[in-house]
Formats: sequence, C-alpha cells, structure tokens
Amino acid sequence: MKFPSLSSFSSPSPMDHAQCLRLMVFNSLRAGRYIHRFWGTSTLSLDSFCAFGYPVICSRMKEIKVKDASTWCTLVPDGEPHIQSVCEDHKCSSVSVKSTPEIEKKYVHRVYDAIAPHFSSTRFAKWPKVAAFLESLPTGSLVLDAGCGNGKYLGLNSSCYFIGCDISPPLIKICVDKGHEALVADAVNLPYRTNFGDAAISIAVLHHLSTENRRKKAIEELVRVVRKGGLVLITVWAVEQEDKSLLTKWTPLTEKHVEEWRGPRSPCVRCPSSFSLESIPETEENGLSGHMKDSRESLMEDMQQSACLNPQNKDDSLVSKDGRSQQEYFVPWHLPYHRAEVSGASAVALATGLAKKDDKKGAVVYNRYYHVFGEGELERLVSGMDNAVIVDKFYDKSNWCVVLEKTL
Amino acid sequence: MRLLTHNILSSNIKGVTNGFPLGIEVEKVVEKQVEINHDFLRNIFPKIDWKAFSDASKIMGYVELPEEAPEPSVLDSDLDFLRKFHHALLELHLEEGALVCPQTGRKFPVNKGIPNMLLHEDEV
Repeated sequence: MKFPSLSSFSSPSPMDHAQCLRLMVFNSLRAGRYIHRFWGTSTLSLDSFCAFGYPVICSRMKEIKVKDASTWCTLVPDGEPHIQSVCEDHKCSSVSVKSTPEIEKKYVHRVYDAIAPHFSSTRFAKWPKVAAFLESLPTGSLVLDAGCGNGKYLGLNSSCYFIGCDISPPLIKICVDKGHEALVADAVNLPYRTNFGDAAISIAVLHHLSTENRRKKAIEELVRVVRKGGLVLITVWAVEQEDKSLLTKWTPLTEKHVEEWRGPRSPCVRCPSSFSLESIPETEENGLSGHMKDSRESLMEDMQQSACLNPQNKDDSLVSKDGRSQQEYFVPWHLPYHRAEVSGASAVALATGLAKKDDKKGAVVYNRYYHVFGEGELERLVSGMDNAVIVDKFYDKSNWCVVLEKTL
Repeated sequence: MRLLTHNILSSNIKGVTNGFPLGIEVEKVVEKQVEINHDFLRNIFPKIDWKAFSDASKIMGYVELPEEAPEPSVLDSDLDFLRKFHHALLELHLEEGALVCPQTGRKFPVNKGIPNMLLHEDEV
C-alpha cells in the first residue's frame, strides 16, 4: 500500500473512500500515535469523516476492523486518534502463535522452496546421535519426523514406520520420490492425532522459528503427538559454534529489524510488522542488517513509538544493550548458478530482492533466518511443560540436543 | 498417502473439536507392493482405529477387510488376515484426491501422493 505525500491532499476535491483511508492512516503515522494493521481484505465501516479537518466527502472512521484482529483501533471526532483495546482479558493476541510471521515466510519458507534440490544434495550424512536414537526404538514404532527436510532420516530404522512432514512442498516431493511417507504440514500445528506416535524427532528445525512462543508451541506439538512414555529428540543450532569462523559469514540481525518482522511478542496487539513490510520495498545491498534508508527509518521509528501497548519484557534472544549474546542471524545459502536455473524461483527471488547474485562465487545468495540457541535454552523452554521430562541432554557438533519423555 | 498415515491424520483447523477421521475423496489410487513385516504389523495393530481404517479401505476400493477388528491373537495365526491387513495398511496409496475435515468440510488436497495439510491464515 503506497502512501501519498501530504502535499497531494491540499486540493479540496472530494476523495474516494480508499484515498480517505490512506490519508487517515498516513496522518496517523505521522502523528505517531496510531497504528493500523492491514491484511489484504480489511473492511471499513465509515460515517461522516472529519477527524483531520479535510473537506472531503467521506465518512468518519468509527472503527477499523482488521482481519483476525481482536483489538479495535478507534478514531474519535476530536481528531486525536487513540487506541482502545477491547481485549477480553490482558492476554489476548490478535495473531495466533500458529500464524507464520513474515520473517519466516521470506527467510525460511521461500528460501527452502527455492533451494530444495541443491539443499537436498548436500544433506546425506546421517548424524550418529540421531541414528543411534532411531535405532534404539522398538520394532514397529511409529516415528514422526517434524521438519523432515529431504527425508534424510525417514526409514533409517527399517523396523519402524516413519511419517515425515515439512513446510516445504519441494522438499516433501523429494521425500516421496524416494518412497517415503511424507506430507506438507506446519511443525507449529501438526495434523496428527494426540498420543498416536511412539517417537518424534525435530532435527535442526526449531531454530527457524522466530518467536519463543512458536518454539514452545512446536515442542508442545512434538510431545502431544507421541504416546505416554514416547520419546522426542530435538536438536538445534547452538550459539556456541565449534567453528567460530562460521559466525563471520552470518549476518547478525539487529533488534529493530527483528521486532518489525516477528510481529506481536507481547500478549496484546502490536500492529506494524506486516504493514511495514508490505508497504516498503527493500533496497539494502547487504541483506538486512544495515540501517534503513532515511524516510523508511523515520517511519519505522514512528511505528515503534506508536505501538499500541508497551512491549513485554524482552526475549532472552534479542540483542540487548547489556551485551547479552547475539542469537538472531541470517545465514547465507549459496545456490550455484547452474543449480539456480533449474527453477524460476531464483529469478523471482532476485527480482524481489529476496536473494542477490555473487558473481565471484557464481551463486545466488539466499539468507535463512535463524534463532540460534544458548546453553540451557532448550531446557528452559521445556521446564514449564507438565507432561514431559528431559531424559537426556547433550551438545554435539555445534548443536544443543534434548531427549524428552512424555509423562502423561 | 497410505492408510496408516490416514489413520493418524486429523483436522487441526481452529475450533474443530472432532477432526478425525478425515473423509477421503478418491481420484486416483495406486498399489505399490512392499515387503510384509509380521512383527511390525503386530506392533502397529493396537494403535489403529479399526473403523476408520476399514471404512477408508472401502473408499479406496478394497473390500476384503472385516468390519470389526479381530482379536489380536489372529495376528499370530491367520496369515491370510495379516496379508490383507498389510495390503490395506501399506500398499494402497491415494495418489490424487482430497482429505475432508469431518466437521467443516474443508478439503486438504492430495497430489502425487502428498497431502497438503497447511492451513490458511484464517484457519489457525
């Protein structure tokens, strides 16, 4: 949604409702007091409009209903916009934890879709710790691999039955072509009956989830779908990498960007994320860790200041000014040119700024979003669960790992 | 998609309290032979919701399964039953069609044997 500059509204000629809306919102933003969040099909109910004193034949905005919102943002006739939260209680959120944030759509889903065959060709070495876990399972076990990728671990134990799922259709296609049973699904909302599986694995998956609530939800899902006594193995990338030179290749994400793209962290609504991403094209050269251009920066700052309600206590995972460790990164994937030609996805990615070319390396470079885990973080996420206990935990090859057992 | 997978799948749309079993719309069924493993079948049998499994196999065009689940001891003695159980559970594939939420009627497509269970924004 593009916003006209204020000067374009100096004419007193009548405006249509859409222009009216844009004007109101634009002025709200500049006033720094008021945020709308727009989905594609937001609906309006308008009365006579005079909030900003523009002589237009339009209606006064009483309420703006945004899709999925449980919070109503209201303008009042005195011209001062303000927010009324009509949350039933203080814990409401207009965005479900199961709803995918923009940063994951752009820097996880679309990337894996684009790189799937190449990614799969590099994923063949079976991690001994995972293999050992799977081989220890009793004959006839039903094993659920959530975030199975190219299906590397499906069928590893031939006496067990594996069902893999992943958010990426191209990766699932690779699994099924190999003869495995696999489906397209979301690790945060598994389409499986409760208590059915004997074991579940989540290998290098949770670090692609951009909020703590989503990471917790994914763990809860893994535990939900296994029977009482069933085991769950989770592995995630560690902050503490064995090869420290790797970190020089990663792009740390700053707090400003992560806040914008994660969407609401606090129990109550924060609006700006998808709005800003849709309205402002990206122009940075070097991924998204640098500072935004001037006009966008000020707009973003307005939004942050105008956020409806105060943010909750920061996640441990954010960069904080007291020097806690950086945990949010873009990690590059180099897709060689000769592999990129295979699908049109790369052409689209380059055109939309999702990826860039590196002629020196002869590759299209994608960025993947990671929240890498600190020591103890997985345990902390599990500690609040009343139906699972940790039966093993270890650090192996730059990954933090836990094995959970479902207790009731 | 095999019928063993169908037996674990459930509609996870927001607000749905009874998402199992999913209805099946068949456009194409394919049979792919796989080696029988008696131990595996004995272990998996207690997990299976037999009614859902038996109904689903009929929709897929296989009518040999008994309506009622047999006693588990049958698995040790009745090779004919084991073979039919194995065939329906693991050798019938829904290649093209859809899975249907029993509460909302929402269809989850199955293409090239792959169910897509992803929900839309307004369903989560």
